[in-house]
Amino acid sequence: MTAGVIDFLQLTVAGLSAGSAYGLVAVGFVTIHSVTGIINLAQGEFAMVAAFVAIALLAAGLPLPIAGLLAVLVVALGAAVVERVAIAPAAGSSVVAYIMLTLGVSITLKASVLLIEGPQSKALPAFTGGILSFGGVLVRPQDLWILAATLVAALGLYAFLERTVTGKAFRACAEQPTAARLVGVSPARMSTLSFVLAGTVGAVAGVVSSPVIQTDWNIGLFLGLKGFVAASLGGLASIPAAIAGGLLLGVVESLGAFYVSSGLRDAIAFFVLIVVLVARPGGVFGRTQAAARV
Amino acid sequence: MTQAAPRLTVEGLSAGYGRIEVLHGLGLAVAPGELLAVVGANGAGKTTLLRVISGLLPARAGRVLLDGRAVTGMAAEKLASAGLAHVPENRLVFPGMSVADNLSLGAYARRRGSGEAVERDRRFVLDLFPRLADRLAQPAGTLSGGEQQMLAIGRGLMAGPKLLLLDEPSLGLAPKLVSEIFAVLGRLRDQGDLGIVLVEQNARAALRIADRAIVLDRGQVLLQGTPKALLDDSRVQAAYLGRGYTEVAR
Ligand SMILES: Nc1ncnc2c1ncn2[C@@H]1O[C@H](COP(=O)(O)OP(=O)(O)OP(=O)(O)O)[C@@H](O)[C@H]1O
Ligand SMILES: [Mg+2]
Repeated sequence: MTAGVIDFLQLTVAGLSAGSAYGLVAVGFVTIHSVTGIINLAQGEFAMVAAFVAIALLAAGLPLPIAGLLAVLVVALGAAVVERVAIAPAAGSSVVAYIMLTLGVSITLKASVLLIEGPQSKALPAFTGGILSFGGVLVRPQDLWILAATLVAALGLYAFLERTVTGKAFRACAEQPTAARLVGVSPARMSTLSFVLAGTVGAVAGVVSSPVIQTDWNIGLFLGLKGFVAASLGGLASIPAAIAGGLLLGVVESLGAFYVSSGLRDAIAFFVLIVVLVARPGGVFGRTQAAARV
Repeated sequence: MTQAAPRLTVEGLSAGYGRIEVLHGLGLAVAPGELLAVVGANGAGKTTLLRVISGLLPARAGRVLLDGRAVTGMAAEKLASAGLAHVPENRLVFPGMSVADNLSLGAYARRRGSGEAVERDRRFVLDLFPRLADRLAQPAGTLSGGEQQMLAIGRGLMAGPKLLLLDEPSLGLAPKLVSEIFAVLGRLRDQGDLGIVLVEQNARAALRIADRAIVLDRGQVLLQGTPKALLDDSRVQAAYLGRGYTEVAR
């Protein structure tokens, strides 16, 4: 392989790895938005807090896998508490009110972590060390861990939504809320569940990507913004499209930063967002709103 | 008529949207095994009445009793497990989900109960609507309008209801399908002690299968009685059976 091809492949793998994290965060936007209509501005903070919880548990002496899983559990439950305490009591509020509420949650989480952990960034150690070479293409093992974790989370979510009674009730509530109520599905409980799912996928993203991206109190801003862009590629309505959007964004960022300008990396997401909002408000992968509602 | 407490009692019911009151102190009763037809012009408040009964819209005054038990103000998702099934206007099937999933979601409120009873009802529904049995794996959103209506009724029946509310099941359907659906409603009326409230603009078809009927006019009960008495009433003939109401194919 020529050096050019190797560069390209390495950049693509790195992009897929970063994109996996965006995709998981994006899935969180979709689960909450599809059931409640809320855009959760604290979505990136779920990832950030999970990483810090894992780092703290590891420092307390727990083995890494246990620390990671516990962190995901803590954030999933924490997301349920957030929904009960900060979202549910405002049932029936305007979009602006919910933006204020989730923004408030986001700022509270950031400020708490800043006060507790300080401004410096920390990171979990890579799950396994070394570096892998596939015919000259060098790959960080952590990138494979991230891809594997994303795959497991996505398949787990898919199995839950497609195969379980509660998962089907959740989809029913997203598709046709009135009819869902008429068959006995409680919108309040599905709203809580949507936050639990969003907390779970966000936490997985935060924990597995921490060794690569370094976690600080403000990282949720970037993860959240990029996750939102990825989710909007699917019109905020489709889980597979959110993951595909995340992967695409990650790869475009990685390639753009190398071939065009490294200063461009974070601007690409906004450029993509503007193009999507102007050209296809229903999302690139998503069906248009009208088609989805028929 | 049986002597048991009415399946459904509505007393002095008022409801509306914002500053507009749509129902003004309305009352009615449905006995077990009885099919009550509710007819009336567009905007008379028929859909609003069903929405209040099933808990989708709060009552402003009055009471709703299910088997003699007050359920006024109970949330719709709770009433589903109290034995009430509401087949809403425009069907509202779950479009992205299969016919089979739509039906099993109909039994969602019974998920902690016996699987056998649910399975029995599933077979009953598929026997009532063989077209659904042929399309179990098809996404409900791709069904024809008539098939979606069958699915909506089937989903309602999967709750194993004591009271079934139907909002214009014939809306937008070809005459042949309308008679197919009304034949099923006739079967439901004739078996067991299910109470049925059938809201219809197709007054002739509804009166043909009803045990009793009421005419709703601007949020109030204008007339009530047996279908025969109403069919003979000149006001009904003029307003609801005249031009614009097509005879259902037999
Ligand atoms: N969500 C709403 N907000 C405000 N007004 C409403 C709403 N829904 C219904 N209305 C009004 O309430 C009145 C009764 O409506 P309803 O839907 O109950 O009539 P209907 O008898 O079912 O009519 P149709 O035969 O056309 O279905 C109408 O004047 C309607 O405009
Ligand atoms: Mg109506």
